[in-house]
Amino acid sequence: MCATLRHRGPDDEGVHSDGASGVTIGIRRLAVMDVEGGHQPLCNEDGSVWVTFNGEIYNHRQLREDLRARGHRFSTSSDTEVLVHLYEEYGDALVHALEGMFTFALWDERRERLLLARDRFGEKPLFLHEHEGELSFASELTALERVTPRLCELDPAAIDAFFVFAYVPGPGTIVRGARQLPPGHLLSWERRAGRVDERRWWSAAREAVAPRESFEQVVAEAGRLFQESVRTRLIADVPVGVFLSGGVDSTLVALAAARESSQRLKTFTIGYDVGAVNETAQARSVAQHLDSEHHELTLTQADVGERAPALLARIDQPLADRALVPLNALSEFARPRVTVALGGEGADELFGGYPRYRWLERATRVESSVPDVAVSAVGGLLRRSARWPGGARVAARLTPGPLLERNLDWVTAERRHRRQALYGPRLAEVGAGRVLGELAGRAGELDAKSSCRWLMHLDQVDYLPDDVLFKTDRAGMLASLEIRTVFLQRELAELAASVDTSMHLGSAGKAIVHAMLPPGVMAPPSRGRYRKTAFRVPAAEWLRGPLAGVLDHQLRRGAIYEEGYFDRRAVGQLVREHSSCVRDHSDQLWPLLALGLWADRFYGLDGA
Amino acid sequence: MGSTARRPRLLVLTPDFPPAPGGIQVMAQRIAGAMGGFHTRVLALDSPGARRFDGEGALTVRRVGADAAPRKARNALLNAVALGEALSFRPDVTLSMHVVASPAAAAIRRALGTPTVQYFYAEEIGARPRLAAFAAARADVTIALSAYTAELIAATGAPPASLRVIPPGVDIPLDPTPLAVDRPTIVTVARLEERYKGHDVLVRALALVRAKVPDVQWVVIGDGSLRAGLEQQARCYGVADAIRFLGSVSDAQRDSWLRRAQLLAMPSRLPGGGFAGEGFGIVYLEAGSYGKPVVAGNVGGALDAVSDGESGLLVDPLDSVAVAEAIAALLLDPALARRLGGQGRERAQRFAWPAIAARVEAVLLEQLGAQDPR
Repeated sequence: MCATLRHRGPDDEGVHSDGASGVTIGIRRLAVMDVEGGHQPLCNEDGSVWVTFNGEIYNHRQLREDLRARGHRFSTSSDTEVLVHLYEEYGDALVHALEGMFTFALWDERRERLLLARDRFGEKPLFLHEHEGELSFASELTALERVTPRLCELDPAAIDAFFVFAYVPGPGTIVRGARQLPPGHLLSWERRAGRVDERRWWSAAREAVAPRESFEQVVAEAGRLFQESVRTRLIADVPVGVFLSGGVDSTLVALAAARESSQRLKTFTIGYDVGAVNETAQARSVAQHLDSEHHELTLTQADVGERAPALLARIDQPLADRALVPLNALSEFARPRVTVALGGEGADELFGGYPRYRWLERATRVESSVPDVAVSAVGGLLRRSARWPGGARVAARLTPGPLLERNLDWVTAERRHRRQALYGPRLAEVGAGRVLGELAGRAGELDAKSSCRWLMHLDQVDYLPDDVLFKTDRAGMLASLEIRTVFLQRELAELAASVDTSMHLGSAGKAIVHAMLPPGVMAPPSRGRYRKTAFRVPAAEWLRGPLAGVLDHQLRRGAIYEEGYFDRRAVGQLVREHSSCVRDHSDQLWPLLALGLWADRFYGLDGA
Repeated sequence: MGSTARRPRLLVLTPDFPPAPGGIQVMAQRIAGAMGGFHTRVLALDSPGARRFDGEGALTVRRVGADAAPRKARNALLNAVALGEALSFRPDVTLSMHVVASPAAAAIRRALGTPTVQYFYAEEIGARPRLAAFAAARADVTIALSAYTAELIAATGAPPASLRVIPPGVDIPLDPTPLAVDRPTIVTVARLEERYKGHDVLVRALALVRAKVPDVQWVVIGDGSLRAGLEQQARCYGVADAIRFLGSVSDAQRDSWLRRAQLLAMPSRLPGGGFAGEGFGIVYLEAGSYGKPVVAGNVGGALDAVSDGESGLLVDPLDSVAVAEAIAALLLDPALARRLGGQGRERAQRFAWPAIAARVEAVLLEQLGAQDPR
């Protein structure tokens, strides 16, 4: 298993087996803190508590001081060692003392009890398999497959969900029998009883509240927490840089990092040689303002043809987030210069940055004043005639219906409605309502008072961990680079969850984050709104250019067609329309390409 | 002016005065009521039940501004009426208890040459920095509640006037004997309107305290618009069953909880963006007066209100682990809690109102000799 994880941690490897109980925990490590002394698994003073750990504990120095003052003895300076001592102090509640991104497995030899934990936002993944009282776990699905030969079948329902969402929604996985520990959860396994107990230990609130404080006070508090978050994330024994997209979030990160850093800041950005979505100019102007050591990567079509197929196949669980390829390329580009990069992920989910929140909230209000028949007629027309994926979004705004369905149509560009035409016999029996039902279950009870708050919560527990953070972790780790998110800090998230949604949305969305930006750093917003520029990707052009051949090969030989998951003819029609520029089908073709390449590796068809 | 035959006259300008609830209100009354060397007149804003309250007291209180009017209009009226009042009353000293009364105090000083003593807390300096700078510049003496308040005044850029740091006083309870309680109890007393009081950090800390003291309960006294959010946060941390939100309670109920609890915790922090935090934290002294140790933030006014390691434990108010450790230390070590509580009671005696009011009176009396004969 450890050999499979080499890319996650090229620097070290270790295993601890408890002979009496038959328990083994192992690790591969990317050394960021205490590069020399952080060998894992680690144990406490008397060897009764063992831990393997993946991630980063930002407040580990402070915790170590506290613990030392209480008489604990440390033998290394790595952040992992604080876990065993914290466990001795607080038991399972130790997670509440941790600030950071992590998963860990802790073996309590006396109680013969294993404790697994995943961080609050799901920044680090943890895959599980349970069978007849046995429990296996790993930070990558591929590694779990190696130790558990039973995991050899794909889950049709997960493939269906993947096609609709473009990621595999947790806590399930694409492989039947394997699952994930959800973000903010603990799992304990007692060997003697063979008992597994899983419970949530943290979540941000989901209900609407309305404190009487002023907007300025909230912005001031958010600004203080944000700066503190950057400060703690800059503590590393290795060089740190910032990924600058030119948008508000990453600009704020770079500003705060420049303020905290004693050395000249290193910033990195990416651009393309095709399409109209080049953001390098905005990033460059921010870099000039900061006087950072700025590095620009142009990801050419040739680069994409070379790296995208391998990456999409190699990732342990399929992901059709288009930004995966550029983010991984940027990580590899930055890696020779820095070991850690700060990113602005999570700001949109926590602070209401997606226009969808405003539009859907408005739509629910407008609905009551316009006749349903008229609205749905216009919506239906738009949906059928749309030559561009945006048509579905406009339709979603107009079509009356339950909030969850509208939201789904918006975020999935209507793949939900197209899938029956594309599915092969293996997916035919998948129930049409299942993805919706599962999604509703994850979001919890609907608080009808604020649809916006509810949608934000849904994105925080679903889209954020399973797409955004999975992408961020994999893109970085496959390049042996650690990406630290600054907005995903507990105090900041709790603050964001405890202010009124109207304060978030303001006139243009993400109002608190925008107000944190000092004037003069970025070009002034147009119509009160900074352009959304989070590493946009010319995927439609790539599918016509450097990846057209791969698509063709897929259609002829790909496992998803051979195994009967998708209909070759129907997809072939889509490809033809897309290549001849009649339509832009990239919203459907990109997931098919990502899944196809991944499945080829899974079935051993990739020649590997 | 300044005939030795009559007592000197003191005009107290204060928007806040009992029976309206609040710390500044109580302070204004304790000070005005203890100025035995002066013939005192108070000008305050009207509030429900004020007539009855004033009728029962010995002080002469003039009330202005209907309770229903907007706060800004009422403050403007207070300033306008103050000038007229001064022309008839002819005070020898003006004591302005809040910066919103400083325009009137400045006008009285200019018209009659009456020296001004100006009080400062904290929150108002952050909220109205320009008015605070004006008030500090036009006063003959400024009184700051704490060293932190003095820093805030200095930060407004006002010329350094004669500055005194005089802490607020505390009413020493008649019966501070502890009452029995069935669970280890932490109490917090503060309105739930300002995040800087640190209730959010206490929720996080409670999850850790519970690992060491499983049956701990946290009694939250005070109400406000942050309450719903805190209740939710508590549910998200799985500690809702260990918290009792009591809302606003009577003074007697509050006192009974101070007698029951093992400690008072209020890790006030400094808010960001130039907003001010705890000016002093009178509640720390009140807990002390009941022999209870406190856990407070190591910033702002709490540095003056609490003596670290003597009357309580001062910790980083943003660090929920440090807050949890301090609380657990006091709950798990009754001897330590008793020692700090006992020392807290002794310390509170030094802040008893009669002694503190005497210090304020001394400052006011000093002004009599130093009048500007314009």
